[in-house]
Amino acid sequence: MSSGDLALVGFTLRMAALATAATLLPGIVAGLLLARYRGPGRGALDTLLSLPLVLPPTAVGLALLMLLARNGPLGGWLEAHGLAVVFTWKGVVLATSVMSFPLLVRSARTAFEEVDPRLVTLARTLGCRPAAAFFRVTLPLARRGIMAGLVLAFSRSLGEFGATILVAGNIPGRTQTLSLAIFQEVQAGRDRHALALAGWTVALAFLALWSTEWISRRRDPECA
Amino acid sequence: MRVTAGTESPMALELDLELPLARFTLRLRASLPADVTAVMGPSGAGKTSLLEAIAGLRRRARGRVVLEGEPLLDSARGLSLAPERRRVGYVPQDAGLFPHLTVIDNVRFGARGDAASVDAAVDTLELRPLLGRMPRALSGGERQRVALARALATRPRLLLLDEPLAALDVELRDRVLPWLLRVRSTWSLPCLYVTHNVGEALAAAAHLLLLGEGRLEAAGDPRSLLAVPALAREAQAGIENLLPGLVVSHDAPAGVTRVRTDGGLEVTVALDEERPPGSGVTLAVRAEDVLVAAVEPVGLSARNVYAATVASGERTGSDVTLRCTLHRGGGELLVRITPAAVAALGVEPGRPVWLAVKSHSIRLL
Repeated sequence: MSSGDLALVGFTLRMAALATAATLLPGIVAGLLLARYRGPGRGALDTLLSLPLVLPPTAVGLALLMLLARNGPLGGWLEAHGLAVVFTWKGVVLATSVMSFPLLVRSARTAFEEVDPRLVTLARTLGCRPAAAFFRVTLPLARRGIMAGLVLAFSRSLGEFGATILVAGNIPGRTQTLSLAIFQEVQAGRDRHALALAGWTVALAFLALWSTEWISRRRDPECA
Repeated sequence: MRVTAGTESPMALELDLELPLARFTLRLRASLPADVTAVMGPSGAGKTSLLEAIAGLRRRARGRVVLEGEPLLDSARGLSLAPERRRVGYVPQDAGLFPHLTVIDNVRFGARGDAASVDAAVDTLELRPLLGRMPRALSGGERQRVALARALATRPRLLLLDEPLAALDVELRDRVLPWLLRVRSTWSLPCLYVTHNVGEALAAAAHLLLLGEGRLEAAGDPRSLLAVPALAREAQAGIENLLPGLVVSHDAPAGVTRVRTDGGLEVTVALDEERPPGSGVTLAVRAEDVLVAAVEPVGLSARNVYAATVASGERTGSDVTLRCTLHRGGGELLVRITPAAVAALGVEPGRPVWLAVKSHSIRLL
């Protein structure tokens, strides 16, 4: 295999890791909100946050592109502050995190819903303020579900294609990830190389899924 | 503030609460001493809600809660301390241990690094051998002890125990109750203790609150309240026969303690020298522990045999509960036997019978 392929794999892993890191905090907050918030607008919020899961990735990518393009509502402001996103690696990270975000939110939400609210209440009677009760009881009890959600989001990020190609393009050495490179090689008729790259994606997917399995199977001290 | 007559020390806990619940609003005024107060009443009477309101977990509670002179809740002044600032130890029915923490980390949870109070709590409840275990590896009784230690380690000013023994079977119950009594004597904290079991209330509590639907039905010394019909009904859910009396003498070689009930009945129980002669006790006998004989039994090991007359018989579940009037003293004993035994003995109202109780089937409360 070539050093170019290795760089491609490294870039893809970096982008997926950054995208996953970017979704961590908003994903946990959104998951907590959906698990605990019972007021008006809850259903709308739930739908909105799940939308990228069911929309075609290209539609999401198009929406992001229009929002972030130089003449878009956000793009002009970002560019004025030296933050060009479109057709850069930042675009890859953004498109990828938007697409994988709902996966983390769903896992985190389920994990938070499974935490017995009475334990949180008890932590309060034991002297914890609400924030301390969250960090000492809620979060540790939900951590397994959140970890599983992160691995899932990371796996999804590795293969993101539709939204990424619209927001970041397919520029070798700058925004090209494995899945984008496969597309390019097939179009250019270099099927053997495309197949080799696909082999890499299979290896990465195996690793990611295997670690999900490992996280969920690992004997957890709190389970009987 | 309400002042209760006949007490020198100010009351430890003053309650004047109004708490909207699903079916009714609980209204309650009470002044409680720095001792154990049993809270009794039928399911749904608001016992748990009362504890949660005192702990600050019910935002809809109105009124006043004053603990040793300091208001925790005073809705007229818009004051309601957050639960974490009340320093009230709450032990729920299911113990509520943190499943991700070991026993020692559970006990330390609210202690804010106060090693002395953690040690004291661990020692009182004898948790040393359990410290490294996870909650899932504990028995029901051990969990309750850990939960109690966790609450004590915060140096609370008030303990709220919600049926700490209810989830345990009878045998375990007898193993946990002594811990509660030890906590009562070494910590001397005001404590509200929800229970369905009159025996527990008599054994552990100096004061009793009896809740009906949304109101206080009775309050006072548990022994004096045994005559209250609602409490008598409660008693029937646990130990059916409760007879107040005085210890007469101990006979160590024979292994028995003699008690005379207020009704003049002589009762022999298993030796209990911790109760000196002359001390007041309550005898507790389960209805199913009373034997019924159609003729005077001879050559029986049971020490307590009494002539009685069946006053009434009532089908209770798969059994029959007989109400029997004792010939001496005129007291009553409830007896539970099977319908088959009723048929075999020819038991019917008005019929004279003999009742026998083993010394070991009688508990001293």
